[in-house]
Amino acid sequence: MSELSVSAEPIVSARGLTKSFGRKQILHGLDFDIPAGRIYGLVGHNGAGKTTTLNAMLGLTSYQGTIRVLGEDPFAHRAKLMENVAFISDVASLPRFLRVRELFALLTNIHPNFSQDKARQFLEGTDIRPEMKIRTLSKGMIAQLHLAVVMAIDAKLLVLDEPTLGLDITYRKRFYRRLLEDYMTEERTLIITTHQVDEIEFMLSDIMFIRDGEMILHMQMETVSEKFTQLVVDSAEAQAQARDHGPVYEETRFGQTVLIFDGVEREKLEPLGRISTPTISDLFVALMQRPTANPETAR
Amino acid sequence: MKAFFALIHREFIEHRGAFLIAPLVLVGVVFTLTLLAFSVDRLDTRFSGQLMTVVPTWVFEAGFAGLSGAWLAYLGFVLFFYCADGFAADKRNNAMLFWKSMPVSDFKVLLSKLTAALTILPGAVFAVALISILLMFGVAYVTAMIAGLGNASLFGAIAGIYGQMALVLLVVLVCGLLWYLPYMALVGAMGSVVGRWAIPLSLLLPTVVSALEWVTLGGLHPFATRTWAYLDYRSQLPVSTNHLDRVFEGQEPFNATLFVTDFLQKFDWLQVGIGAVFALAVLYIASEYRRRAPAN
Repeated sequence: MSELSVSAEPIVSARGLTKSFGRKQILHGLDFDIPAGRIYGLVGHNGAGKTTTLNAMLGLTSYQGTIRVLGEDPFAHRAKLMENVAFISDVASLPRFLRVRELFALLTNIHPNFSQDKARQFLEGTDIRPEMKIRTLSKGMIAQLHLAVVMAIDAKLLVLDEPTLGLDITYRKRFYRRLLEDYMTEERTLIITTHQVDEIEFMLSDIMFIRDGEMILHMQMETVSEKFTQLVVDSAEAQAQARDHGPVYEETRFGQTVLIFDGVEREKLEPLGRISTPTISDLFVALMQRPTANPETAR
Repeated sequence: MKAFFALIHREFIEHRGAFLIAPLVLVGVVFTLTLLAFSVDRLDTRFSGQLMTVVPTWVFEAGFAGLSGAWLAYLGFVLFFYCADGFAADKRNNAMLFWKSMPVSDFKVLLSKLTAALTILPGAVFAVALISILLMFGVAYVTAMIAGLGNASLFGAIAGIYGQMALVLLVVLVCGLLWYLPYMALVGAMGSVVGRWAIPLSLLLPTVVSALEWVTLGGLHPFATRTWAYLDYRSQLPVSTNHLDRVFEGQEPFNATLFVTDFLQKFDWLQVGIGAVFALAVLYIASEYRRRAPAN
């Protein structure tokens, strides 16, 4: 991902982004900038505020604070913004009453940056035919079609909220591979949320963790590997020594102890056991742990 | 405008079942039954053919008017359900998320739905109505021919009646749509907010408003208020019957130009204007609700 450029003007900029539903505050004043040409993973528990954050970016919900996407206030100017932003919030959201060719014909007239030829190209090699009604397609085929639609839109920002939910592993792999190979360029920015973080880790340039409406991690993947270290120790003595370095997380797996450290030099940990960079899912578990899954209801 | 027309086209694709396919099927079934009835002598071509010796043009005029009335009733019915249900149809299967990813405002989407309800959807029913009446005229003329009465003059008279009555139907249809525009917009706006609940609510709302006036300002009973009187006036198409009365009394033959001129002159255009402003206002309020409502 290092070849991806970073322009000075961020694609998305949020300051004090807050959202409440009734008395319940969902987002607690998020501040972040997303530069152009990056692939962001937005990760969090169910109900952490990922979709609300994306909805605020896409102008689908009102909010307090400031958010600018491509320099526009998304809630005030959603229609204009959508000329340069594409998103999939639910792969099952394509209108079922249309045939594939009707969908393409409508989009050609509705969206100024949609290319019917590109969409047809993306569908080559699939079982989807122009005469097919969308309601007759399988869930995997609908996902392929939806991906073809958004990839055929010449957008600067693509937002994918759980795009592969309910799809089998084959479709998921194919989905991400096509996205990376056929769509991503230096000018485009991709923001993606999924619970299957291991499947997208290879393509991410940056990661954001949201917990209970607060941003608890926002950094480039290179920095993650520099900052966080995973240590696996076998003996109780090594474990005790490792604990002296203040791990952020510790768990026992098959008789071994796994510890994750934040900002501890690898040279200090190396003699104690096997060190590696934690995967995103390991880091997620380490940083997102909390007393209960739903602390609000537990109070 | 290209996007707006595409949105109207989308409405046609989504609702062509009720506005085009079902009417065509109905026409096909009735036409087949008619042919079947003649073929097995349930209907006698001699009788239907001879009928035209008694009242040659009246049969066609009355037949056209009767069938037009039936089609207008059908159109009113499906338009009501379209407004109540179609304005909320984007919520089905989470499709709202897809449409919100398009660069069109919520107001434009709702306006396209209302425009479809005024143009292409009733236009489809109008086209099917003309086809059905053409078939009816065709059957009538063929029976006249079998009865030995078919001639060029009758054919010319039938064609003239068809043209004149089609013009009348078109004018009545267009004026009717403009007259009921605020009702369509109100039901559509309510449909955008509460979905199919707009069907009972749209029937309940006038009663509630009238009762509110009765409670606050007084009156003999909840249906003897200015609100009710106004709604009563606004719910009936103001058709001028001067020419029609003279036709029915046999004082003059039916003349489409006279009827249309009289109809348009006496039409309450001020109320049409007020209704259009009201329609745009409620549509704007509904679009703001749609803009703010969760899409998923």
